[in-house]
Amino acid sequence: MVLPASTIAVLLITMVALWGVGGWALVRSLGDEERKLELLERQETFDTYSPRVLSELREWINSHPDHPRVDDATTAYNDCVDRLTRIEETFYDWDETTVDDLERL
Amino acid sequence: MTNQRARTSREQWGSRFGFLMAMVGAMVGAGNIWRLPYVTGINGGGGFLLIYLLLLYLIAVPGLMAETLLGRYTNKGVIGSVRQVAGPGGWTGVGIVVLVVNVALMSYYAPILGWILYYVYHSILGTFVQPGFNPLVFWTSYTNATALVIATHTIAVGLVATVLWFGIRDGIERIVRWLFPALLVALIAVAIRSLTLPGALSGVRYLFTPRIEFLVRPATWIGALGQALFSTGLGWGIALTYGSYLREHDDVALGGGLFTALGNTSIGLLALLAVFPAVFAVGLQPTAGSSLTFISLTYVFGQMTGGYFWAIVFYLGFFFAAFTSGLAITEVGVTTLTEETRFDRNTVVVLFSGAIWLLGLPSAYSVDVLNLLDFIFGTWGLPVAALLLMLVVGWKLGRSPGLGLEWVRLVELNRSTDLYVGRWWSVIVQFVIPPVIAVIIVYYVLSNLVSHPTQTVGGVVLIGAIILVSVLGMAVLERPGADEHANGGGQ
Repeated sequence: MVLPASTIAVLLITMVALWGVGGWALVRSLGDEERKLELLERQETFDTYSPRVLSELREWINSHPDHPRVDDATTAYNDCVDRLTRIEETFYDWDETTVDDLERL
Repeated sequence: MTNQRARTSREQWGSRFGFLMAMVGAMVGAGNIWRLPYVTGINGGGGFLLIYLLLLYLIAVPGLMAETLLGRYTNKGVIGSVRQVAGPGGWTGVGIVVLVVNVALMSYYAPILGWILYYVYHSILGTFVQPGFNPLVFWTSYTNATALVIATHTIAVGLVATVLWFGIRDGIERIVRWLFPALLVALIAVAIRSLTLPGALSGVRYLFTPRIEFLVRPATWIGALGQALFSTGLGWGIALTYGSYLREHDDVALGGGLFTALGNTSIGLLALLAVFPAVFAVGLQPTAGSSLTFISLTYVFGQMTGGYFWAIVFYLGFFFAAFTSGLAITEVGVTTLTEETRFDRNTVVVLFSGAIWLLGLPSAYSVDVLNLLDFIFGTWGLPVAALLLMLVVGWKLGRSPGLGLEWVRLVELNRSTDLYVGRWWSVIVQFVIPPVIAVIIVYYVLSNLVSHPTQTVGGVVLIGAIILVSVLGMAVLERPGADEHANGGGQ
């Protein structure tokens, strides 16, 4: 029996969307964990946010000064900035210029 | 400071691999092995699968991220988590509802574990490949032998309790690190064998050919929504409980959300490929539902070359899938009661397992009781518990609706994450998932009112009563609105 093209297409889409992406997620997650542990062992800490998230967090803090949890957000932001200035190697993809330009809030 | 102490004194996962295997092992249960093939079959095959995939990514993945995050954020079980984010009082009743539903669920899941154990035993004995073996007679004589079913139920509860006795790292993690990969290997082996049977491609064609007429049926979409939401374990309290044992630097989004949802459904796809081609190859009815596993498949193995070996592999894999879910469902109660009572963990494991065993006796005694409990708690209890838990995450985690969840996304979800999560997450968790679950519940009620009026009304009344008693009870027992308790965790 020959399978119709539409059947093969659905089978392939399903396999890629589940096994492909699921396998990628597993490998990525395990790889990232290994890297985090290496960084923790070597420098006791690592950056908690990516450049994109830290930028969004700064925007959010600036635009919600009266939010009841703004202090916690600011603490989290400053903690990441402090870590970035302390560590030699970052977990996320930070470039030196961006890190140098960062300031505590 | 207090939270720091909680973090250091509370047990944690020993490795990322252990956590991932525990999460996906918990969500892959008996339902994945028989329900996905069955639901896919009755809903038009390929078209249903495409809709299901879409909804899995759109709803189940963000939902699981949210539930796991709630656990990591609070480092507590279901009741403690809800109390921490919603404040003491009526809302804490939501945690009790989730706990009660889990207890009810495990009370009839334990006898099912016992059934599977019995089938593992007989696959090793070679019963299914004996000449003249009759699957239906075998099944009926087993389920009618009350003492035997109670004995297998007892062994199942005993095995679960033994693993949980050793705790998260030395118990659950140690066992799932082996069981889940073993399940994967078993299913891959059976799928390969199944796909190479003469006539197997008819099963593949039936499963994966998109039949357009099914795409426009509301029932197909509701079926896909229900499967995407509930087969992934969303709202059972498992992701929350396992997430509560994560370490501070652990990611939530990729492991707790994406991998858990996709890993769980990947096993479902393997089950599809293991079950359907074989069922077609021997000319059986593909829409047989739960009886497919315990009746039809034993016949399939009898017809297969090397059936003795494949039956052992399949039923062992099936047991591993169900057992890891049983561990997780029971752990929800063990974690919560250890926190909420003065008993230590091991005492709670013994008492809670004893209660599950006792409550499971009626289901072990009668399949009709088991089916009734499944109808009430599987059809109503789980969706309602999921809805309540998602309301807690979407509307109570963070003080201001709208702004609160965005704070959670930025400060908590994207902290140490392996996968960036954008603004869409807050919108889906807050405005999409709760109404979608509500629509499914209403649809279930309306459709079942016609076919099972008494059980439906009874189920709705019982679940409603559980919610009412839990919420009112906690409102009376706990002082509501103490600001210092609400929203106090995380940092």
